[in-house]
Formats: sequence, structure tokens, C-alpha cells
Amino acid sequence: MFTDEAQEPVSIRSAWRTSQQSAQDSIGCQTRAVHSAEAEVQTLSTAVSWTQTQPHDEAQELLLQPAADRLDPPGLKAFLQRVEDTVIRELDRNGRSHAFDEFQVNWEDQSQPVSCLHCLQHPSAQERGLHVTSVSWSCTGSVIACAFGRTDDGDWITEPSCVCTWNLDRRGLNPKQADLVIDVATAVTALCCHPQQPALIAGGLYSGEVVVWDTSRTQDPVLVQTGMSADSHREPVYQVAWVPLQKAGEFGVLSACSGGRVLLWTGDLNEGRFVLNAAYALVPQQVPHSSYVSFKARGSSTVGVTSLALSPWDPDTFLVGSEGGLLLRCSFSSQTPAAVPSEGHNVTLRAPAVFVFRPRSGPVHSIHCSPFHRNLFVSAGTDGRAHLHSLLQADPLLSLRVSDSSVFQVQWSPSRPLVFAAAAAQGEVHIFDLGRRSLRPAATIEQGGADQAATCLAFNSQNSHLLALGRTNGTVCIWQLSHDLTEQSPREISQLEQIANQVAA
Amino acid sequence: MAEVEETLKRIQSQNGVQGIIIINSEGIPIKTTLDNASTVQYAGLIHQLVMKARSTVRDIDPQNDLTFLRIRSKKNEIMIAPDKDYFLIVIQNPSD
Repeated sequence: MFTDEAQEPVSIRSAWRTSQQSAQDSIGCQTRAVHSAEAEVQTLSTAVSWTQTQPHDEAQELLLQPAADRLDPPGLKAFLQRVEDTVIRELDRNGRSHAFDEFQVNWEDQSQPVSCLHCLQHPSAQERGLHVTSVSWSCTGSVIACAFGRTDDGDWITEPSCVCTWNLDRRGLNPKQADLVIDVATAVTALCCHPQQPALIAGGLYSGEVVVWDTSRTQDPVLVQTGMSADSHREPVYQVAWVPLQKAGEFGVLSACSGGRVLLWTGDLNEGRFVLNAAYALVPQQVPHSSYVSFKARGSSTVGVTSLALSPWDPDTFLVGSEGGLLLRCSFSSQTPAAVPSEGHNVTLRAPAVFVFRPRSGPVHSIHCSPFHRNLFVSAGTDGRAHLHSLLQADPLLSLRVSDSSVFQVQWSPSRPLVFAAAAAQGEVHIFDLGRRSLRPAATIEQGGADQAATCLAFNSQNSHLLALGRTNGTVCIWQLSHDLTEQSPREISQLEQIANQVAA
Repeated sequence: MAEVEETLKRIQSQNGVQGIIIINSEGIPIKTTLDNASTVQYAGLIHQLVMKARSTVRDIDPQNDLTFLRIRSKKNEIMIAPDKDYFLIVIQNPSD
């Protein structure tokens, strides 16, 4: 009857539904193959080198110094035997020969003995009619410092003056304009540059003050000053000098004034003031006895000091020249107290005079000790003569006539033992050479009349051919000396010894 | 050796002699009485000078030869006695 029938399903394909599967493509990419190569480097040969500076005593290797027991090089003995006689004969003959006694060769070409290099002026000082009172070279030899003031006024000077410096080695040297101008309240009467530090200059003023300027400071060049204390001078300071103190490298300033006082100051840099280290007072009663000096004690209770000189050979000695013409040798270490009423000084005054030389008739303007002989010094004053003294006797060894008027300054040359220069009030400067037979000057710098008096001069110890000269018309001239005034000849020291030994027994 | 020293002493004792140097033909100092630095300086300079002086003399006259050389300066005099193998240099200050 009825049976189950299993029919196969019937499927109808969708007409609208399509496969969502998108078209698919397969693509691949690949970079090209990278080229690589391998190579090796290897040094085949090596070399090592180094340099080294040769030490100075390499030279020792050149010297073959045979030990005492080694044989001399062959033939040395025979060689010496051959030449010994000849050499000894020549040596002997040479020692006795006079062939070359006066023979000198001049390699430098110098036509004139002196020639003017520069003429330096400070216009504002010249307008005020100031004179140059002192010149000093710095220790390096390239800077010249000049002090302005007056040398002829008897009145108290109240007008301000200045100190100017010029550096001669600079390219842009302007003779009419100073490199550095330091204004000072009163006239400057003495100037001295420090012997080791080029920036320090010590000056003495007309008011009695002693000042040290430091030219390396731009703001206020005054480094130390004495001020008007009870210790300081009351009279114009005519000379300042740097004195080496006990401690090496330290210097004090020695100042001498016409009030008869010589004071040694040490600078206290913190305070900016000077501290009195030692004080010496010169009074006529304490001048050593001598047949020349008669006591004219009335009217003059002090020995006004106008010039001072330190001895480069003996640190204890200094020489003093006075207004009355006295010339004294003094000692720093003298202990005799001075016979002056104590005026509230902190340091006791001492009388330093040890020996008196033959006095002059007028003020002694300048003294200078010879840098080549320990006993000689030269002095000059208003009598127009330069006197050569030895420390050992009172009379001068030699008196040379310089000019008819007074001589303001004498100074020994730093390079030639027999030469010194003297500046006269009539404006000429004479340079004397003691090695010459005649007593006339070896060279003369002529210029002008009484209005251009030469007041001060200074040799340059570094460049010994330069000489600075200050005049009353406010100019400083730098002169160049020729070869034979500056080059030392072989026999000069022995000639100087001979002159010094003329001391009467 | 003793004779060499004695000879040098005799020369040294002459008036004003400041120093003696003996150098060999290459200019190397053999004996000296001065310090090392001065000796080496003198030896080098004088050796060249002697060679130049000798060639000057022989150029002027080939039969001639240098026998003695003296250099006088402001401060001293240098005397040189040349030879085939050695030079003897003596420095003297004649004014002493």
C-alpha cells in the first residue's frame, strides 16, 4: 500500500547572490640581490720612529776626556814638542809688544759724537712756563719719566704741575703728547724710577711730601704717600732714591729735603701711607771736625740737603751735599742721636755724618758715585766745576772746569768707566772722558742761552747710547751718543784704578 | 802622558794665558783647560776658520802653506798652531 518514499532534495541556485569573493591575484616582489664583497687589509711592514729634543749637555759626548791612565792619542806628544817652542816664543813676544796699544777699530759708522733723536714736550706745561726739574729712565730702559716744576722761584709754589712719561720704544711715539700724564698738586722737585718694577715712580714734592705713583693703575696712580704728618718734611724734597732694604727684593724710599732731614720710608700698601723707618738729621754742630769747616752756627741751624747719592758698592754709605757747600759722607747705621729738639717724630733722629770733604762755596747740586770703582764719586755745584773725589781723602783728586755758570747735574756713564756728563746752567752739556790727555770735554751738546738751561740729565743704563736732558723751557731732549763714548776700551778699568790710587798718603 | 801635561803647564804659565785647547783634525777637542761649553764652541768655530785660512793661503800660492794664525780682538788674542793631525789653540790676554 503506502510506502515511504525518499526523494532527493531539490536545490535551486540563487540567481542574484554572487560570491563576494573579489578577484585575487598573487604578486610578489623582491629586491635585487645586494652585492657584497669581502676584502682584507694587512700591514706588511711596520716602522717606528720618535723625536726628542737634544739636551744641552749632549756636547759632553763630543769631548773625549781620556782617563788618567789611558794613553794619549798617538802623535800628540810629538806634535806638542814640535809646536811648543814657537808658541811660547809668540806668547812671550805678544805679552811684551806695544804694537796694538792705541789701536782701535770702529765697526760702527758714527759721523757725529752726539745727535738729537727726539725732543719731547708737554704743551700744557710749556704754556704755564714750567721747567723740567728731574728726569729718570725706567728700569727697562724704554720709558722716560719727567717731572715738571720750577727751579728758579724763591716763593712758595702753589700752582699744580705734572709728571709725564713717554715710551720711546713704541711705534706711535708722539713727541708733543705724553703717553701718561699724572697731575700733581704742587711742583715736583725730585723723581726716581724703581730699579726693578717698571711701573713704580717715586717723587718728591715742593711741599715736602714723598709720593710713589703706580703707572699701571688707571684710576688713581698714587700708591703710597707721606701726607702732611708730623714725620714728614716741611721743606722741598730735593732728592728721592730707592734703597734696598734688609729683606731682599724690598725697597724703601730715601728722601732728602732742604730742612736738613734725610728720611727713610717704607711703604705700607694697605694704608697707602708711608711709614718712617729711619730718620737722620744734619746739624752743623754734629758735622765731623775738619780743618776746613769753621762753625758758622749762627743763623743756620740746619744743613739744608740739596743732593744725595747712594753708593752701589757699600749699602751702608750715602753721600750728602748741602746748600752751604758741605759735602759729607754718611752712614745708615750710625747710632749717634741728633742734637735737634724732638718734634714728635716716631723715630729718633740720628746724626749720620761720618766724614767731611773739602767744602765748596755754593750749594752742591749733584753727586754721583762711580758704578765702576768703589771709592770714586763726582760732585758739582755753583762754582762751575766738576770735582772728582775719592772716599778716602778730603781733597778732590781732580777738578775739571765745566762752565762759567753753575752746574746742575753730573752723572757717570753706565758703560764707560772714565766718562761722565755735566749739565750747566747756560744750556750746554759737556761729556768728559778722563782717558784723554786734555781736560777739555770729549763732546758738547750746545743749545740755546740762559732761557734753556739744562737742569737735569740721565743716562739710560739699558741702552747706554741714550742720554736724556731736561731744560727750563719745558722740553726733554733725547740724545744719542756715538760708539766711542759708549763702548768700553780694554784699559779703562786700569786707568780708573790709577786715578783712584792717586790718593795722597 | 807626563810630558804632555808638563808642556801644557809650561804654556799655561806664560804671561796672560787664559786657556789652552788641543783639537784633532776633525775638530774634536782632545785636551782643554777651559770649561766644556766654551771648549766645544771654540773648537767648532776655530776649526772652520783654520780650514778657510789654510785654503786661502794655498789658493794664492800652491807651494805655500799656513804655519800660524793669530786673531786679535778687543779683549784678547787667540793663537793657533796648525798641524796635520792636531791644532793647538791658546787664548791670551796680552795686557795682563
